[in-house]
Amino acid sequence: MKTLPLFAALLATTTAPALAEQAPLDLVGPIAEYKLYVSENTDVLVEETRAFTEAVKAGEIEKAKALFAPTRLSYERIEPVAELFADLDAPIDARADDYEQAEADPEFTGFHRLEYALWVEGKTDHVTEIADKLQADIEELARRIDSLTFPPAVVVGGASVLMEEVAATKISGEEDRYSRTDLWDFHGNFDGAWKIVELFAPHVEDEAFLNSVEGNFDKVRDTLGKYREGEGFVSYEHLSDEDRRRLSALVNTLAEDLSTLRGRLGLI
Amino acid sequence: MSEMNESRRALLKGLGLGLATCPFALGAARAETAQVTAAPQQGAASAEDRVSPYGLHQPGIATNRPAWGMVASFDAIVDTPADLERLLRRLTERIRFLTSGGAVPELDPKLPPADSGILGPVLRPDALTITLGLGASLFERHPWLAPHRPAQLARMTSFPNDALDADQCHGDIALQICANTQDTIIHALRDILKNLPDQLVLRWKQEGNVPVIAPQPPGVVESARNFLGFRDGSANPDPADAALMERVLWVQGPGWAAGGSYMAVRVIRNFVERWDRAPLLEQERIMGRTKVTGAPLDHPTGSEADTPEYAADPAGDLTPLDSHIRLANPRDAGGERHLMLRRPFNYSNGVTRSGQLDQGLLFIAYQASLNEGFIAAQTRLNGEPLEEYIKPVGGGYFFAPPGFSNAPDDYLGRQLIDAIGRTPSKT
Ligand code: HEM
Ligand SMILES: [Cu+2]
Repeated sequence: MKTLPLFAALLATTTAPALAEQAPLDLVGPIAEYKLYVSENTDVLVEETRAFTEAVKAGEIEKAKALFAPTRLSYERIEPVAELFADLDAPIDARADDYEQAEADPEFTGFHRLEYALWVEGKTDHVTEIADKLQADIEELARRIDSLTFPPAVVVGGASVLMEEVAATKISGEEDRYSRTDLWDFHGNFDGAWKIVELFAPHVEDEAFLNSVEGNFDKVRDTLGKYREGEGFVSYEHLSDEDRRRLSALVNTLAEDLSTLRGRLGLI
Repeated sequence: MSEMNESRRALLKGLGLGLATCPFALGAARAETAQVTAAPQQGAASAEDRVSPYGLHQPGIATNRPAWGMVASFDAIVDTPADLERLLRRLTERIRFLTSGGAVPELDPKLPPADSGILGPVLRPDALTITLGLGASLFERHPWLAPHRPAQLARMTSFPNDALDADQCHGDIALQICANTQDTIIHALRDILKNLPDQLVLRWKQEGNVPVIAPQPPGVVESARNFLGFRDGSANPDPADAALMERVLWVQGPGWAAGGSYMAVRVIRNFVERWDRAPLLEQERIMGRTKVTGAPLDHPTGSEADTPEYAADPAGDLTPLDSHIRLANPRDAGGERHLMLRRPFNYSNGVTRSGQLDQGLLFIAYQASLNEGFIAAQTRLNGEPLEEYIKPVGGGYFFAPPGFSNAPDDYLGRQLIDAIGRTPSKT
């Protein structure tokens, strides 16, 4: 994923942990809870990535394909935190068009490079090093997150960051273009955003705002619910134009609304 | 009628103050020259130019075309008549604000600002007009809306020379946004996107402009040139002729659509490198006019305001029978019912994969009858020699509803909502 300018600017001047800003007292609780949520997801991510990369290395194509989308789910939920570490987010999650030579670019690694090997190239013997690197990057990410003091503004801002992600690159189906598992990613992003809203809503006074945000999350759930299949979702290709339009409008509206969340909580 | 009088008064006032950019003010000295598509003159436009958003008809149709214009097309998220009313009311609110100008609201700096800020803290009207068009898909999607579809509104179909790109076609709603400067039209679009994210999803947009020419002596008006280097708009019907406008532009009653107009939008690529390699005489024979002055070929030393006389040239010795202007308007008996008002802009988008310039014409035409106007003209133009140099790639047909008044509760599209006869429960 592209690192958003805010984080880029922050990272340019300092390393992430030093961003820590004293949380206003009443936000200490929700921030601690969010940290817990992130570390639970990171734990799952490390384990599931191991299973996924091992299947890739063993040449178990069908198994690896089945593990791809569920493994990414935990990553997509915590993407705003993962993105704090641009040096890891890029090799883990960048898409081919982030590179000048697209799929052929030697810099192209991570989930989407393996996705390309599995769905397009139909073989994995040439990507075992990339699988190892993905696992190592994910483990490094987990270590860094573990020792990260969560800056309140980044945590709260994460809700809109997730919506911006969906609005900018996911709604178009660009993210998981080889596997068409984009709806899983949507789901992970919405989950992650909803978690933040849920934790911080008690500290927001504007009822109308909360009702609108909650109503829009409900509508997203209803719309995505139509595309559920087994543990996950059907291929992105099944998303009707009508529902894509609706999801677009919902995501844009949530992005507008959630862009005020930090300010409403007095954070900058 | 009162709104019309109001906007007339505003116009006359503008004239009295000597604002040459005021709609209808230009070209008064030369009735035969089209005013709407006159080339803007340096120093004449001002950020304070205000085109009233109110009137029997929407502005941006018979009002002067300023230097910049855009068509943005959207999908509309609308399930019920109340949703549609809400969309139209909110859009009207933005139009009222943006076209009048004023200070943008200041918010707590911890919040995202209310306005993009690209025009600074105080907006000036800058001749901004925002003209709403409704697409056939909007009407077709809802059983409660289908019976109210304007009679001739249909989804644009492909003509023989078209290579339509689905990503640049159609839409539930189109906004034609015009102003003196590019920043003003971009600002307006961003404002609308920010304020109506739950109901308008952008599909495509194309912006363009027309060249601003050096100041001319009083009363001298020339049509702006397009990217083929020809004056475009010379033969446009005269907007000051109200009776003519009733016939050419405005849908007649009864029905909610009365006072509205059909909007045909076409994104037409010009193969400019190839055109620039065509001999001048051939270019002129393709268009039917001289390149420098725009004079018709049968009055080559005249002016663009001269009328070609095809009856005196039945074999097309002077003006070829297949020239653009002769096919587009043969000026034969009954020809008037095929008239339309063209209000195009030139666009320049970048470079194609073949390394050629991606330039062309954002063709916008308004007419009371889509079938007799644009579709009939385009059908006659099918196969014209100009086709070798142009390729329509996008666009759509829309219906521009009648205007709204400055009464506080009035809004754009109210006639349609009234026709739907929604129970008056407010949202
Ligand atoms: C890139 C495409 C086009 C170019 C470069 C172009 C250019 C011109 C030019 C230079 C003129 C002569 C000046 C004038 O009267 O405005 C003209 C006239 C005209 N054009 Fe086009 N045009 C284009 C497309 C179209 C299309 C798509 C239509 C309608 C289907 C159309 C309809 C007309 C009409 C009705 C006239 C006036 C003819 C008359 O009344 O004498 N044009 N055009
Ligand atoms: Cu991602």
